[in-house]
Amino acid sequence: MVRFVLSRALKAVLTIWIAITSTFFLLRLLPGDPTTLMVEGDMTPEMQAALLKTYGLDRPLWEQYVSYLRELVQGNLGISFRQIQPVTDIILDRLPWTLLLAGSAFVLTVAVGIPIGVAAAVNRGKWLDRALQGFGISANALFVPSVAILLLVFLGAQLGWFPIGGAIDPDTRGAAAYLSLVHHLALPVLSLVLVQLGPYALTLRTNMIEVLGEDYIRAAQARGLSARRRVWKHGLRNAILPALTLMGLQLGTLVGGAVLTETVFAYPGVGRLIYEAVGQQDYPVIQGAFIMLAVTVVIANALTDMLYAVLNPRIRL
Amino acid sequence: MKKTVKGRWRLAVALGVVATLGISGCGLNEDNGSSSGSSADSVLRIGTTTDVSNFNPLQSLSKTDSWILNAMYPHLLRIDENAKKAPELAKEYRYEDDGKTAVFDLRDDFKWTDGQPVVAEDVKFSAEMIMKYKLGNVAAKLTWVESIEAPDATTVRFRLSQPYAPFAEGVGFWMSIVPKHIFENAGDLSKFPNDSNWVGAGPFVLDSMTKGQRYVMKRNENYPLAPEGKAAVSQVEYRVYPDVNTMMLALRNGDIDMMGTPVPVSAAKTFENDDKIKLEKVGALGFAHLTYNMKNEYLADQEVRQALSMAVDTKAIISAVLQGDGQQMAGPISPVFSDYDNTEIQPYPFDPAGAKAKLTAAGYKDANNDGFFDELNFGVACDQSNANITRVVQLFRESAAQAGIKLENECVERNTFLTRTKNGEYDIDASQWGVFDNPMDQLRSTYLSSNPGGINYNLLESPEMDALINDAAGTTDPEAFKTKIKNIDKVVHEQAYLTPLYVENFRFAYNASKFTGFVPSPSDLLGMVTAYSLAQVTPVQ
Repeated sequence: MVRFVLSRALKAVLTIWIAITSTFFLLRLLPGDPTTLMVEGDMTPEMQAALLKTYGLDRPLWEQYVSYLRELVQGNLGISFRQIQPVTDIILDRLPWTLLLAGSAFVLTVAVGIPIGVAAAVNRGKWLDRALQGFGISANALFVPSVAILLLVFLGAQLGWFPIGGAIDPDTRGAAAYLSLVHHLALPVLSLVLVQLGPYALTLRTNMIEVLGEDYIRAAQARGLSARRRVWKHGLRNAILPALTLMGLQLGTLVGGAVLTETVFAYPGVGRLIYEAVGQQDYPVIQGAFIMLAVTVVIANALTDMLYAVLNPRIRL
Repeated sequence: MKKTVKGRWRLAVALGVVATLGISGCGLNEDNGSSSGSSADSVLRIGTTTDVSNFNPLQSLSKTDSWILNAMYPHLLRIDENAKKAPELAKEYRYEDDGKTAVFDLRDDFKWTDGQPVVAEDVKFSAEMIMKYKLGNVAAKLTWVESIEAPDATTVRFRLSQPYAPFAEGVGFWMSIVPKHIFENAGDLSKFPNDSNWVGAGPFVLDSMTKGQRYVMKRNENYPLAPEGKAAVSQVEYRVYPDVNTMMLALRNGDIDMMGTPVPVSAAKTFENDDKIKLEKVGALGFAHLTYNMKNEYLADQEVRQALSMAVDTKAIISAVLQGDGQQMAGPISPVFSDYDNTEIQPYPFDPAGAKAKLTAAGYKDANNDGFFDELNFGVACDQSNANITRVVQLFRESAAQAGIKLENECVERNTFLTRTKNGEYDIDASQWGVFDNPMDQLRSTYLSSNPGGINYNLLESPEMDALINDAAGTTDPEAFKTKIKNIDKVVHEQAYLTPLYVENFRFAYNASKFTGFVPSPSDLLGMVTAYSLAQVTPVQ
């Protein structure tokens, strides 16, 4: 087990290094330089040269890369071109909001997706199954920003049930602040859940149908175990294993979805930060945000793999 | 057993909720300071599209930053509703020494929020720091300055290396004045973030912020340009909505009282049935144009440029792209600058057949009879994120085909486009200039061959134009200056260096049932949210 954990951790570190390196070079391979976007119109070559020097962009690429890695090892993500502040501070300001949004959406998708998948499998071929399949397939085709805008227009603007944008009413304190937090979180989470739920429930349904046809389930039935127990205790435990992999993959999708969701809902997370930083070609912020998200997703995936290994010892072989 | 399973689920869900809430709970509303408006206060909430990226007004280049920073740091001059310079901190300005010295006389009743008066030394310090650290785009406007003097508290003299007619207007309008007694302690101003304990002298000063969400500004109790000596609104709050559709919903729902950013033409109709929302129309300080690269051997031919100008149906473009909400132009000077616009020149008529005949007469041939002149095949570069311009390119391509000129759409991602225009890698540039505060700066930037880093997209190297521009630039007599600008307007039109397309109108939406008295000024850069405008706003009783 220790060997497995070590090898998995090593893979995670390697993945993060690849993410860091590719982000670094991809950004710099983009045409132009950030100073072009900073000053339109009257920018003398001296001004441009001064800006490039200030940001260290006048140095050879490999030198920039080495110095970036050196700083990174010391936990320094650099200084934002635009905000003249440490990127770490800027991102740490935003990260809790994204974790809250993506975390809530993840938990809710799993909590709602499992009963839906199980109910569909148990009622295979019946109207409930067909309805759930219909929903699953349609949800698969949903696009996050479209869902977000629809929710915002109907539930936010027309019915006025939810606030338009923001993460919290800044004037609230104590319990009211938490209520406001949940109130603001509802629509962004709902839009992510609606998009994620379909694939998740469908996968679980397929796994469940397969498991319910296994001999040991029939044996359990012969032993007189109740249907509820057969399904929830014996069936789900085995059906959920492949769904674990999907959970890990979904984390990546959630992070991608967060960029769009946070922009539509004016939610102050890392996703929106990336949207803004890309527009301004603020390299250090884009790099920092990608690294932070890559680390989050890679760690979550590694943990999923390890959990999988714990639940299914054959995986370690 | 049932209970146990249920109990486990409940526990798991509860733990999840507590954990997620706890994550953000530690940062809940922590940035928010003392100010939260009581019911007696009048709070004006404005929608902005992005966070403040730089609080240092000498350095910031962001449009949305300027909405907040301009309300805090005074400028010598402002731009009025008719695009003319009006007094702000400076009562008046004049030229001495044959135009080689620009003198500003300042008001004596502006005060910083810490009680210190705003004095000439503050102006001198601000300009000198911009020159020393090459800060922002004002640095280019101070190129001519040799020295600055502040002989007394209300007089500032800029000694110039040569006369430059719009110097005072340009610097007066663009340069933020910062408190010397605060900023001089900050060391290297190119690294000074100025992100707390703000001291300003505008109608409002930042008080607190919740990054990603809102910026709260409190009223300066002493602002002499407000009717009552201070703004009628006690607090201005900027709320961040990156998506303009979301911002529009927030305005309709009453979450904000006005949009800082213009309402897209296509969306303006959605406010028509809303009694509370009013749309204020504001002209642009820039314009959309097609500019021809003179390094292209065919585009260097005046006949070809004129034929292209005849192959652009600007009226149809204004109707289709702006739904009629824009003005046609003839020469390169926008009608917004009514003193300088040469009204004697007329736009080239839309006449593709005439253009074709003109090109045939000039010797261009269609040897393979495919309907296009063999040599006249050009790429039209544009920023694909600008929906209006991409539509313009499409319409231009269709109408130019009628004149036998083949065009290819080369609209690309914004930064690629900017890089290509900087490097002159295009045949025809279709774009929209943002803000010109005066025609002289515009002509100098766009046509002077020796202007490094300008926006001479024609890549023009014309001794005649250089002479005309340099002559006008050194003319400080207002009437002679106007005549010279009008003459350049005519020359550019005859040469068809560019085809001006339209001056766009911007529409700014606000809740008229709650606030009134805005003083809009041209351009989307300033629009409704200038310091002067915010100081005039009154709540509706």
